[in-house]
Amino acid sequence: MENKKILEIKNLVKDYGTKGFRTKVLRGVSLDIYENDFIAIMGPSGSGKTTLLNILSTIDHATSGTIRLNGKDITHLKNKELSKIRKDKIGFIFQDYNLLDTMTLQDNIALPLSLHGTANTNCIAKTKEMAALFGLSTHLKKYPYQLSGGQKQRGAACRALITAPEIIFADEPTGALDSKSSRDLLECLKHANEEGKATIMMVTHDAFSASFAKEVYLLNDGMIKCKLTKGKDRKEFYDRIIDVQASIGSDFV
Amino acid sequence: MSMLKLAIQNARSGMRNYLSLIISLAFTILILCNFINLVDSGILDQLGESNARNIEVILQILSFVIGCFMFFFIWYATNVFLTKCKKEIGIYVFMGLSNQEIGKLYATEILFIGSAALINGLLFGILTSQLFTMILMRLSTISVEIYFDVSVRSLLMTVLIFVFIYGIFVIKGYLDIVHSSVLEMIAANRQNEAVKQNRWLLAGKALSGVILISTGCYFAIKDAGMEVVGNLLLAVVLVVTGIYFIFGGLIPLLFQSLAHNKKFLYKKERNLWINSIIFRMKKNYRTYAIVCILMLCAITALAFGIAMKNRYDNIVHFENTYTYQIMSDQAGYHREFHNLIEKQNEVSYQSEAEITMLHEQYISEKFTVPIAIIAYTDVKNIAQTTGLPFNIKEPKDGEYVELNRLYLMSLTNESIGSTQEINGISYTSVDQTTAPYLGYMQEDMDYMIVNDSTYQQLKLLGTSVYMYNYKISDPSRFERSEADIRSSSHCLGLVKVDPERAEISWIKILFSVSVFMFMVFILASGSILFMKIYNDSFEEQARYHILSKLGIDDDVIKRSITYELLLTFVMPLLAMSCISYFSIKAIGELMQTTLPFVNVISLAVIYVCFFLFYLLSRFLYIGNVKKAVNSMYD
Repeated sequence: MENKKILEIKNLVKDYGTKGFRTKVLRGVSLDIYENDFIAIMGPSGSGKTTLLNILSTIDHATSGTIRLNGKDITHLKNKELSKIRKDKIGFIFQDYNLLDTMTLQDNIALPLSLHGTANTNCIAKTKEMAALFGLSTHLKKYPYQLSGGQKQRGAACRALITAPEIIFADEPTGALDSKSSRDLLECLKHANEEGKATIMMVTHDAFSASFAKEVYLLNDGMIKCKLTKGKDRKEFYDRIIDVQASIGSDFV
Repeated sequence: MSMLKLAIQNARSGMRNYLSLIISLAFTILILCNFINLVDSGILDQLGESNARNIEVILQILSFVIGCFMFFFIWYATNVFLTKCKKEIGIYVFMGLSNQEIGKLYATEILFIGSAALINGLLFGILTSQLFTMILMRLSTISVEIYFDVSVRSLLMTVLIFVFIYGIFVIKGYLDIVHSSVLEMIAANRQNEAVKQNRWLLAGKALSGVILISTGCYFAIKDAGMEVVGNLLLAVVLVVTGIYFIFGGLIPLLFQSLAHNKKFLYKKERNLWINSIIFRMKKNYRTYAIVCILMLCAITALAFGIAMKNRYDNIVHFENTYTYQIMSDQAGYHREFHNLIEKQNEVSYQSEAEITMLHEQYISEKFTVPIAIIAYTDVKNIAQTTGLPFNIKEPKDGEYVELNRLYLMSLTNESIGSTQEINGISYTSVDQTTAPYLGYMQEDMDYMIVNDSTYQQLKLLGTSVYMYNYKISDPSRFERSEADIRSSSHCLGLVKVDPERAEISWIKILFSVSVFMFMVFILASGSILFMKIYNDSFEEQARYHILSKLGIDDDVIKRSITYELLLTFVMPLLAMSCISYFSIKAIGELMQTTLPFVNVISLAVIYVCFFLFYLLSRFLYIGNVKKAVNSMYD
């Protein structure tokens, strides 16, 4: 049985600038994301991948095209409704972690749940469960400034996953991490996707990170150029991504 | 761009941030200017030499107090400014500016702000000088002819005082920047890193705070009269130190404990605002303590002024119990004097009594005022005819009740239980009263109320005088019957009381001055808190931007801000309210009066003022945060 369709993107166009001086960043992107997918969007710089992520995560508005989340068109919703969607249905992992420096890691992870009105005992249990999953149990009482970049990003991932959102958007999650921390985080995300059935869409310029996804979409000049599907071996998938990158030839940073 | 232009641009863009600072400084300058001007203006000369001199002394003392207050206020404000500037000017380091140049930039910028406050303060000071004098005199119910008169000397004095104090801190700031390292300036831009503090250290501070405040409050109210003055300095030092420890220890400990209890914390917005308060506490506790202390100063100043006014009113009422008090050597002339007075005036009520002034040789101790005795039945009769309250029990043999005057400020303690030896026999004081049974005559003598039989015995040891007291229906016509009374051969002495008598009317000025001091302190404490919150809101923008990206509703953010700011205002208010009970009680003990009404009213005024400051802070805070949230969609 095919998985449930979470996100349906049709002909997404995004222009910037004023009349007469318009720059098209997205030129009709269409994409379907199903439950339990782990998708990576890759592309050279200026290809529109961050714009696409911002629009999908409702932080930016598209010029035209439609986005359906669980069948509901979210393209023309007001900011208040978009906030509600972000809170209830979407989880975020940002490149710069975006943990609140005023609270401990535990409070950061629990924040979306507690604001959601979840019973405090559930909040505590779920926070501990997520922290254990991401190897952070011993760091819960620490403040962000006491954590390494990798720990912070894993914390941010816990926060994104704790409400069990329909989809997680990750914007260059390994962008500020060293290779060891990157691998740890990606393993955790892979685990959350495989065991926790989380749906993840990740934007990255890094082939290594992308190779952890099940599918990779390559974006260039505002359009999807090709789609790569993972086989059994991640290493082989990584090699294929590198090959395609080389064939496109642009600067993937 | 030249340095001057850059400084002007910075000052202009920062003007909105420092509007409350400018307003508070300008208001302080305005009050100082007006106080000095009032002394110089010559308006007070109309009140007579003694009153004018006393008021001048009060105003000079208060100008000094305002000067001191200005010193600390400028110290605080320039420090806040310096920290904020250090963050901004850290950037200039990378543009290749030297420390000296950055220091000059800071000095120029802060001078603009100081000049704006000075110019506004002086301008409004000049414009409001007549109004100020009018309000001061009206509040004091002193009637003098008020005219517009601004002396150049007073303006120069104000400018000199302000420039001197401000200059010190501008130079201090300049030197601070010149001598600070580049790293320090950049570090000023970093967030407060250590958020939670050691619990044992906090517990220690909290305990010290509670002990210090309790001891301070105990010393403030433990004695009455003279001892209060002696204990006051100790009490103030203990309470002020205690307040610092409470805000630096007890309150952070309380919130850290709340944050530690996750069952409590993970309930809606609590996670946000409790953590936010803990985060701010380490940096802001001094501010909360200052605000609390300033409010205590405000409430104490007001209570003192009101207590003085009450006491003054009572004294005036006391003195005006009778219009005429006639001395005679015999009883039975009350009808004669009554008829003489009735020729010109109408008598409202009257009383008579025999008093005996004891000869000094029969009294064991020498007193500054003579001692007189009066029979219990006479006092009872006076109370009946005059309508004054009477609840004194008849003293037994060897006992007496003290009949005292009302003091503006009594430096003696309760004397019930003390003994008085007359002609070898000891008499014990069992009660005391300040009811004006003998009116003005009670002012200059100490009276002992004894039972009738004791009176008859003691009468032989002194000189007896008959006192006939009359109150006329229109006391302003008091001079009309004077000649008639004096025409009687039985009149051996006459005391006539002028209802407009203003010998101590200078005291009334204390009340209005205390109202102004109250306003200065409240405005300053509110401004300090407002400035702090307004500055914090800029730091908070980044955090609320994150929350918005996470999809946290505007309403949730607003609620969190509301709780946080509400607590920021409530914490110093609550601490102040508790301690104010003791400070006002101390004033009450000093003035030998009870002031709970003053406490309630002044607290209510402060609460209303702070509620307005809270609303303004919340409005601007949310506005600033919204900018961050909206920028997400730009």
